[in-house]
Amino acid sequence: MYNYNFSENDWYKNISRNTNQTNMMPSLFTPEEGYNKGNLFANLYSQYKNYKPAVLTASNEKDRLFLNYAQNAFAAHELNLYLDLHPNDTSMITLFNDYREKADQLMKEYESKYGPLNISSNSLNQTPFVWEQETWPWEGGM
Amino acid sequence: MFSYQKRLQYPINIKKKDLRMAKYLITQYGGSNGELAAALRYLNQRYTMPDNRGRALLSDIGTEELAHVEMISTMVYQLMKDATPDEIRAAGLDSHYAEHGKALYPTDANGVPFTVTYFATTGDPLADISEDMAAEQKARAVYENLIDLTTDPDVLGPLLWLRQREIVHYNRFKELFKYYQKNLKKGNNQFTSQPVDTDNNTMYNNMLLNQFQPNNNDKFM
Repeated sequence: MYNYNFSENDWYKNISRNTNQTNMMPSLFTPEEGYNKGNLFANLYSQYKNYKPAVLTASNEKDRLFLNYAQNAFAAHELNLYLDLHPNDTSMITLFNDYREKADQLMKEYESKYGPLNISSNSLNQTPFVWEQETWPWEGGM
Repeated sequence: MFSYQKRLQYPINIKKKDLRMAKYLITQYGGSNGELAAALRYLNQRYTMPDNRGRALLSDIGTEELAHVEMISTMVYQLMKDATPDEIRAAGLDSHYAEHGKALYPTDANGVPFTVTYFATTGDPLADISEDMAAEQKARAVYENLIDLTTDPDVLGPLLWLRQREIVHYNRFKELFKYYQKNLKKGNNQFTSQPVDTDNNTMYNNMLLNQFQPNNNDKFM
């Protein structure tokens, strides 16, 4: 499904910063980079020994669409945890909603093409019942 | 309520069986510092948090820990599923096989079954959140031990990723701890009349790119 390629790049050169914000804005990785690292917040990232994070690459259209969804959902989740403690940070709320909307749209596109991720999906409106039919995550599904 | 999403939080596709690694890795499912203990710890503590920040953070991190339980379980399952009884015996998993076959069961790396005594709830927010900070640190340390024990990139990728989640969660709990420490009255844990945020400017000073040190150990302290 995915190839775990380990990056040799200097990851910290690719930190994205929101230039509209003051210096008090935490610097964030892009959803793609944050998902690879397991951490959207550049200031919290800490590498173990000399282990570089795996760089997830998709080999087909289905995996590409899913990966794109998973990256945006992860970014929204990271901002969710941050906003639980900083509920008045308007710029982060805006960013959260950008990622949330993108993830939602990609999830629906994925479900319409490749089957349900949620039991509420429109893709379940067919016979046989595809919730049961599609491969389960531990068997090589998503 | 909870609803299931039919996907892993981070992809796992282990192609090579490794029974020794399965035996070690199971501790992050059912060991004292594992993901199951984490999920149960936070999802029990959340009811007696003194404000919505605590209720929200413990609900959201507790839920994420359930996704990590699923990741660890998937890894153990994939590492074991093609094993023969001889290989299982050679790896020291024969007593697990006798009780459970190849089924998942929450134990630590020594086969000791999961117990709820691995976590506490005290009803005291500062006591509970400081336990949570310690739990995230211990889980990070165990992930590092596990990373030291494998060279398989299919196993390393998810372990490095899960280790990073412990660091993020630790820092969120630390923020909540500081906020409560500043705003809860000593003795009765009631909020002061005008709760104030801890200083974001100070908290995020080290986020500035020009001050950022890649191996800054401060994030563990």
